Amino acid sequence: MNAAESVETFDLDLGWLDQMGEWGTRAEPGKQGLTLADIQLGSYGDVPAHSDNLTGRPRGAGKRADGFRVGGYEVRDKQDIWLDNAAMIYEEAVNRQWSSATDVPWETIRPLPDDVEQAQCELATLLTEVEFVAGDVPARWVAATTPDYFEPRMTLLAQIMDESRHMDVFRKRALANGGGLLQRTGGTAGVVGSIDMSRDFTEMSSRLHISGEGAVLSIFRMGELMAYNEAEKIAYRLCAQDEARHVAFGVMHLRYIADTAPERKEEIHCYLDESERALLAGQQNPAAQQTPVSEALAILLGGGKDQFDDGYRKLLAIRRRQVKEYMQRVKSAGFGERFENGRANPELKTYAQL
Amino acid sequence: MSETRKRRGLQRRIDKIDAENIDYPTPSLAWMGRTHQWGTRVKPGNKGLTLSSLNVGHYGEIPEFWEDQTRMPRGSVAGPGGVPPIGYSVRAKHELWADCAGDLYEEAIQRRWAPTTDVPWATIEPLPEVVERAMCQLCTELCQHANVEIETITSWQQELSYGYHEVKMFLATETFDAARHFEVFRKRALCNGGGLGVESQGRVNRMILENRGGWTEAMAVLQLLRGTLTHTIYRHGMSFAHNDAEAIIFGKCLEDKSRHLAYGLDHLKYAINHQSDQALILEQVLGIGERHLVRELRDPPFRESLAIIFGGGIEGARTHGMARYQHLMGDFVRQYLDWSDWLGLRRREFVAPELKAFLEK
Ligand SMILES: [Fe+2]
Ligand SMILES: [Fe+2]
Repeated sequence: MNAAESVETFDLDLGWLDQMGEWGTRAEPGKQGLTLADIQLGSYGDVPAHSDNLTGRPRGAGKRADGFRVGGYEVRDKQDIWLDNAAMIYEEAVNRQWSSATDVPWETIRPLPDDVEQAQCELATLLTEVEFVAGDVPARWVAATTPDYFEPRMTLLAQIMDESRHMDVFRKRALANGGGLLQRTGGTAGVVGSIDMSRDFTEMSSRLHISGEGAVLSIFRMGELMAYNEAEKIAYRLCAQDEARHVAFGVMHLRYIADTAPERKEEIHCYLDESERALLAGQQNPAAQQTPVSEALAILLGGGKDQFDDGYRKLLAIRRRQVKEYMQRVKSAGFGERFENGRANPELKTYAQL
Repeated sequence: MSETRKRRGLQRRIDKIDAENIDYPTPSLAWMGRTHQWGTRVKPGNKGLTLSSLNVGHYGEIPEFWEDQTRMPRGSVAGPGGVPPIGYSVRAKHELWADCAGDLYEEAIQRRWAPTTDVPWATIEPLPEVVERAMCQLCTELCQHANVEIETITSWQQELSYGYHEVKMFLATETFDAARHFEVFRKRALCNGGGLGVESQGRVNRMILENRGGWTEAMAVLQLLRGTLTHTIYRHGMSFAHNDAEAIIFGKCLEDKSRHLAYGLDHLKYAINHQSDQALILEQVLGIGERHLVRELRDPPFRESLAIIFGGGIEGARTHGMARYQHLMGDFVRQYLDWSDWLGLRRREFVAPELKAFLEK
């Protein structure tokens, strides 16, 4: 037997070559590289209003008649999860990842007076506790959404990543300066009306992105005013950058609903009614009145427990800003009428006018 | 906004508040001093201030069972009861733990990359059409590997107790990695005159998603069985890459996948060592998984696309291309069996015969 004869030959089916998706797609990288926006070409950029994809097929791939229905996706209507700039938010998230281990100058932390360190640790304990609400809950919705809507799914995956870093940076802060973790607040526990219990994605997003993370974003933005060193300032600044993306997701999604599903507006207003109650009184809002964390914030802002009143005044001012920012977001999302027609909690308006 | 501007803005607001009318509360300060351990001062090391380095004293005690059903951070004080449960179902350490999770989390962040900018897309040149089709088919398959990884892990994330935060955080990096893999293979398929291929029939995907009985069992099929196959494809991808872009794609994905496998294997080892019968259960789960994989491998698109890539075309695919595909599968099975041996799982003896046959290739 010679060498040529010894080579085994195999039969090929090759039928799949005729079952592929649309052919001839040539996305070109631009100045920023090859972005998700660059590959929205032809059928690959067509996002169906309703997804019949139960097999987990990548959008635009060739469909098989014998594919197993493995998806079981609850979210298969575009308006239930869509927002127009998800791909952009995702790309930004990928580009702006940071490391709590190396991008925060931990060596700038110096011993603080005990009351200030305790206040810092109280705030850090709360943030360690609440940050991953925004990890656990979006995760569940990723699994429940058809991959035809992969852009919002990927943006939520980036958010889950961000939140684990937030949980981690505040744990690090609590354990880095002679302090420790304090008592948990229990503020995110499962009660009706909480983010965890939402039965609908938009309901969840309005609670999580708009009111919950919106409130936290306002605090992070003021972080420099309650920071005692570069490490804290940078941690707040980097977290605020991430949080702004999460809030933007919620605002843009609500805007999409307002534009494409006006019949849902009344329902969304009901969620906002609940959110506003939580914003004013809830444990999830670090700046809510009369909680251990609000006391801690007043101490941090004032510069010690002896300057509590001074800090409390600053906290009131921050709360007003927080409320104002909340109202701006709701307006920008297309639900501003609630502030004109008397629907919104009147306390909000009083705050914002001050 | 600069710090000074923020201070000024805040001052303006404060000035508007009528100081006389503020009802200053008297702080209770009851929360002060409520700690299990004060005086903790972890210093950054040569890798910065890492997650694992925080595990000192009380904060490093990782209980065998996590009683709490809320988001209480490990090491904080529970305080009086009365906090309604959230309902985490995975609460025993052996059900999810891996010692390396905290370090893998930090490593994932240090080695982050961006498909948009870190892949030299401009190095991709037109390929013979059938080779491009085969690459696109492979990319479609790999998108689906990433998709199942995403859906499996995210459906579990909220079941995993807060007390084992290192694992939850590592998994956040894994799903973010998988999002990038989904993205990068889609981009590769759509940037060179091609398109996506045909979807997978979904046998193995279904088997992975249906392994919902326990996290450990899901990890056995997602990480050890499917993960090892994906890892092997990435590794070979670095040699069959047609250009720098593909070489970098496979190289970066391989790094990520190695971390996913490291967690998966470390966890399986932990579970087997701490739970009687776990090894026997996993042997059954893997046996079923292998049979699904064998049936899926009879489906032409996967093996033929790899054979065409290896063979440089259809003619080459019929001969040395398919031989190299079999060699790749041999590498996969060898690796799978080596890791099973390391875990003490009797797969070498009982592995599906059709998989075993690849060992001779
Ligand atoms: Fe956050
Ligand atoms: Fe967030």
